[in-house]
Amino acid sequence: MDFIQEGFTQAYTLLRSLDPATYSAISSTLRASGLAMAASLLLGIPLGYLLGYFDFRFKKQIRIIVDTLLALPTVFIGLVIYALLSRNGPFGEAGLLFTIPGIAIGQTLLSLPIIIALTATAVEAADRNLHITLMSLGANSRKIAASTLWEVRLGILAAAVTATGRVLTEVGISLMVGGNIKWHTRTITTAIALETSKGEFGMGIALGLVLLLIALTVNISLAGLRRRI
Amino acid sequence: MSVYQLKDIDHYYGDKQVLSIENVTIPAASITGLVGPNGSGKSTLLKLLAFLEEATYGAILFNGQKVVPLSDKVRFKVTLLAQEPYLMRRSVFDNVAYGLKIRRDTKNLKARVGEALAQVGLDPQSFSRRKWSALSGGETQRVALAARLILKPEVLLLDEPTASVDSHSARLIKQASLKAREEWGTTLVVATHDWQWLYETCDTVLHLLHGRLFKGGLGCTVYGPWRIGQRDLLQKELEDGQVLVVPRPEEGKEMAVINPSKLKITLPGRDPLLKWNIDTLYGIVTRLFLERNGDTVQTAIKVAELVITIRLQRDKVEKLKLSPGQKVSIAYDPRDIEWF
Repeated sequence: MDFIQEGFTQAYTLLRSLDPATYSAISSTLRASGLAMAASLLLGIPLGYLLGYFDFRFKKQIRIIVDTLLALPTVFIGLVIYALLSRNGPFGEAGLLFTIPGIAIGQTLLSLPIIIALTATAVEAADRNLHITLMSLGANSRKIAASTLWEVRLGILAAAVTATGRVLTEVGISLMVGGNIKWHTRTITTAIALETSKGEFGMGIALGLVLLLIALTVNISLAGLRRRI
Repeated sequence: MSVYQLKDIDHYYGDKQVLSIENVTIPAASITGLVGPNGSGKSTLLKLLAFLEEATYGAILFNGQKVVPLSDKVRFKVTLLAQEPYLMRRSVFDNVAYGLKIRRDTKNLKARVGEALAQVGLDPQSFSRRKWSALSGGETQRVALAARLILKPEVLLLDEPTASVDSHSARLIKQASLKAREEWGTTLVVATHDWQWLYETCDTVLHLLHGRLFKGGLGCTVYGPWRIGQRDLLQKELEDGQVLVVPRPEEGKEMAVINPSKLKITLPGRDPLLKWNIDTLYGIVTRLFLERNGDTVQTAIKVAELVITIRLQRDKVEKLKLSPGQKVSIAYDPRDIEWF
């Protein structure tokens, strides 16, 4: 059981001593997940609004597909993105395999269904009188969309928190698409997997605690944002 | 000049017809009252007048022009205050200023919001910064009304604005709405059960029953159970044992409506010689209300569980010396009772 205690001590030491390898992994993690979250919010919020607000043909079927994608395994996404970005794949020439943007593409696929599904749910759950109020105050379609999304901002924030948690902690995509290259695409989760396979449980726990600390910081920031809005 | 012209409106939700109105004209700067039981189509009609929905069939002309929902021709001119108003999750100030911001008309915004709040009896100092969640039901209704009055609308549609507020809020809402008509010539259409709204302020009262306009005043609706009586007519036994006789309904119609304009009121014992086809009910006058014109009196008569509201000439009321509590007899021809 000593390795657990050792892990806490090592985590403190790694952060305190500004360990370059650890900070490189933190940086890779934040860059990949930051890019993925930006892309999935930009795409997911409008798509979630469309899915939640409008009635159209095949809406139910699309909703079932989006909900199913919530359970998409990260290794499967990793495999698909690897196949697409590998040299023989359709996007091989883009040179995105084993890069942070490559990981971000995979993580976007992971978080996008979460943002779409939870935004759509928040929009559907909005008070039916909101639409009447906005229209009767003179809002056009664009303003109705913007104001409705602002009204359900807490639901969208919850979607962002959930997706961030999933993206920060995934390992399958980062490992397969990123390749776990030290100083380059090694994220905290892939580093944990590596250290554990080497039998360095203490180091693994230390990195796990660092990841937890990052998640805590992100969530405290989002909670602060929640209070302000 | 009419602000609205409704032409052969038929409106459906799915397969269900919810409105069927042939021709109605609403003059500019008038006050129109809408009455009818729940589900009669009042709110639906208001939504059509607000151009929030488009009638399935027929046309609603606004200032002589055909318009569609979200059209620029009406978007900034017509506003509806729903029965359960929704305040956005913002401060009172931001809620009231929302419509002006949309119109990019933000000159003297603070002063105008303050003025609108004062118009509905709310102190701008203490209410402007309040959150939407820190308001009572009556205050919410008044803030929602202020958000519409600040727009100085050409048409203000109110859906039972005083139904769920206290008498103080109701009075302020009424005053503020009437001021809009006086100051800006706003056309008001009000769905309400409030007698004062209907008879003290409205120029016209439209009575909706099952989505159709009832011609003949404020019809008294009667539901079954019915039993078969004499002369091939149906009967309903009222709570006090009196019997209301009605004709047989057409297929699919279940609500009988007594047309008050066809009734004859006398004092008991002074009944005219009744013809074979005339029946009589006895009731008690519960309320007398002098209408705006000063010539007619809306007279509510309670007959067992029914309340029949009849418009009587003022001199007739004086001649009969009608007052609340007075017993009266009501003569009616069952064939005048309509089915909806």
